[in-house]
Amino acid sequence: MVPLQWYLVLSAALFCVGLYAVLARRNAISILMGIELMLNAVNINLLAFWRYTQPEAAVGQAFAAFVYAVAAAEVAVGLALIVSIYRNRETVDVDEINLLKW
Amino acid sequence: MLEQFIFVGVLLVVALFLPVVLIGLAWLLRPKRPNPRKSEIYECGLQPHGENWVQFKAQYYIFALVFLIFDVEAVFLFPWALVYNWLPLYAVLEGVLFIALLAAALVYAWQKGALEWM
Amino acid sequence: MGGETVFNAIWLLTILPELLLLILALIVLGVDLALPAERKRSLGVWTAAGLVIVLLVSLLAPVPEEAAFGGLVRADPLGRVFRAMFLLGGVLVALMSMDFRPLRQDGPYYGMLLFSLLGMCLMAVAENLVMLYVAMELTSISAYVLVGYLREDTFSAEAGLKYMLFGAFTSAVMLYGLSLLFGLTGGTGYMEVAAALREAPFSLAMVGFLMVLVGFGFKVAMVPMHFWTPDVYQGAPTPVTAFISVASKAAGFAVMLRAFRFIFPSLGGEWVALMVAISAVTMTLGNIFAVWQKNIKRMLAYSSVAQAGYILIGVAAASRLGIAAAAFYLIIYTVTNIAAFATVVLVSNLTGSEDIESFAGLSRRSKFLAWGLMLALFSLGGVPPFAGFIGKLILFAGAVQSGLIALVVIGVLNVIVSLYYYLNVAKVVFERRSEEEEEPVPIPVPSRWVLGFTMAAIVILGVLAAPVFNWVWRASGAWF
Repeated sequence: MVPLQWYLVLSAALFCVGLYAVLARRNAISILMGIELMLNAVNINLLAFWRYTQPEAAVGQAFAAFVYAVAAAEVAVGLALIVSIYRNRETVDVDEINLLKW
Repeated sequence: MLEQFIFVGVLLVVALFLPVVLIGLAWLLRPKRPNPRKSEIYECGLQPHGENWVQFKAQYYIFALVFLIFDVEAVFLFPWALVYNWLPLYAVLEGVLFIALLAAALVYAWQKGALEWM
Repeated sequence: MGGETVFNAIWLLTILPELLLLILALIVLGVDLALPAERKRSLGVWTAAGLVIVLLVSLLAPVPEEAAFGGLVRADPLGRVFRAMFLLGGVLVALMSMDFRPLRQDGPYYGMLLFSLLGMCLMAVAENLVMLYVAMELTSISAYVLVGYLREDTFSAEAGLKYMLFGAFTSAVMLYGLSLLFGLTGGTGYMEVAAALREAPFSLAMVGFLMVLVGFGFKVAMVPMHFWTPDVYQGAPTPVTAFISVASKAAGFAVMLRAFRFIFPSLGGEWVALMVAISAVTMTLGNIFAVWQKNIKRMLAYSSVAQAGYILIGVAAASRLGIAAAAFYLIIYTVTNIAAFATVVLVSNLTGSEDIESFAGLSRRSKFLAWGLMLALFSLGGVPPFAGFIGKLILFAGAVQSGLIALVVIGVLNVIVSLYYYLNVAKVVFERRSEEEEEPVPIPVPSRWVLGFTMAAIVILGVLAAPVFNWVWRASGAWF
């Protein structure tokens, strides 16, 4: 069987890819995609831990299902906000969305 | 364990070999008279024109969002449905309550006009 | 979530306020569909009246002490104090929204407000990582919608986008931390996690702690997770700003206090040292940036960062007195900040501006409003004998008791700096003249109630703090 560490490394790598997208990308949709990658990394973590440490309890699976549902809700609201700002400003570049600043 | 993968390997080789041979044969045997009409698409839609960054109607978008939410909520119903026959009464009621809430949300979206197609 | 899945009807009592909130939200949405457009202003009355009922039920209904739903939630006395605090904030914000023109007839707005409150109430009583995450996301996602609610308004849309991106990012980091805690300990209940964390390697536990802290830090707006605060406070519709500044922050502190007390006691001195540093930096940065602000909502945003710093003193003290002081201060902060934002709503309704300059001559336009704003600013600045003074006093006392003398010194210096910009607004209100100062400010009935209640609370809590503080103190006993 594939050892647990491999899954954890995969998840950490995926998390870092997502983190990079959030910090480096300027397009709001790309940032949102980065956040989704981070959430997927969490799900890999949860399922790997569940499978390897306590496969008899369903807690890890249940947690992952909640993460999955919440991520969908988050992305729905996020996209709606991006659409509303696109209608106002004709851009989704976060560097150009800068009316509010000190 | 590992020996069982031999079957997969054999299948992979055959699967690669067959199409290569067949397409190669056809390429050798067919007459070669190219013309632009021949590379057009057929039987799968119209020739696209204009830019490919066109704006979709916002209506598609609201539909997609409503679909997304209800689609994902189904993830909670699968485990519930799987053990339905062994569930105590309160768990059945909880599931029914969950579905009722989803239905209420659907009715609300409907009344607000999110499902009207223009 | 263990093997014992026996259902107990008494568990429903534990989450009775949450159930009522859900029913109330459905009623408000239903009424919104049924009412004709010109009568929809009554939605605010429905919401506020319903919330008052929920508040009374949450205070008076008997609640079982033990955990419910297999350890998902535990409505212990301190959790109920926090719950009452959010509900009170909800009542005041609902009333305030009735005088905010763009939102006052909007059914989904009130619905979202109630869903966000539902999430907060669950945050206050959650005792399980999964429950904590779902409750926090329910709160946050509804709040993203509320902040970006005015789609036509560029500022609101921009604030909503920024709030959502920052919030989703921090919650993803927190969630990774939660998944590590789950992996380290194999459990999701706070007690299981804490027990297993004692044996876990220190460095891994610390990584989990730091990642979870990012999520909490976003909610309470502490440095360095405060970057969203000024933009979102300025861009959001003013009642929503008030809601986020009080209820959302208090909910963040509710989960932070409970998590630190019950999940991470084994990290001991390490997290206390970290929180002391964060508290000092948070209040100092908040106060320094607030000095330069021209927009009153931005100023109140930096002021709320500074206030989070003060409350973190109580968190860092990590004693019964510290926790009780933090909860008590949050009650004071709720009424105080709502008074301030209620005046901002009325003045900007009239002048169409949120600049501090537009408050010039307010004392001649409306004595009532001017004094409402003054009491709020005095209380935020810790001027005796108002509520903010006694609140800060107890926080500092808690820190002294835990031996954090240096933090108290920094806190006192910060209070002095903050007086400068609070009193600066007072000067504009009372001394500066303006051309329209003869034109009185109309004060509608809902705002009259909000301001009357909050002003009375600021004075009464300042002079007669004992009954309320004793209530919080007794509630905190369940944790020790």
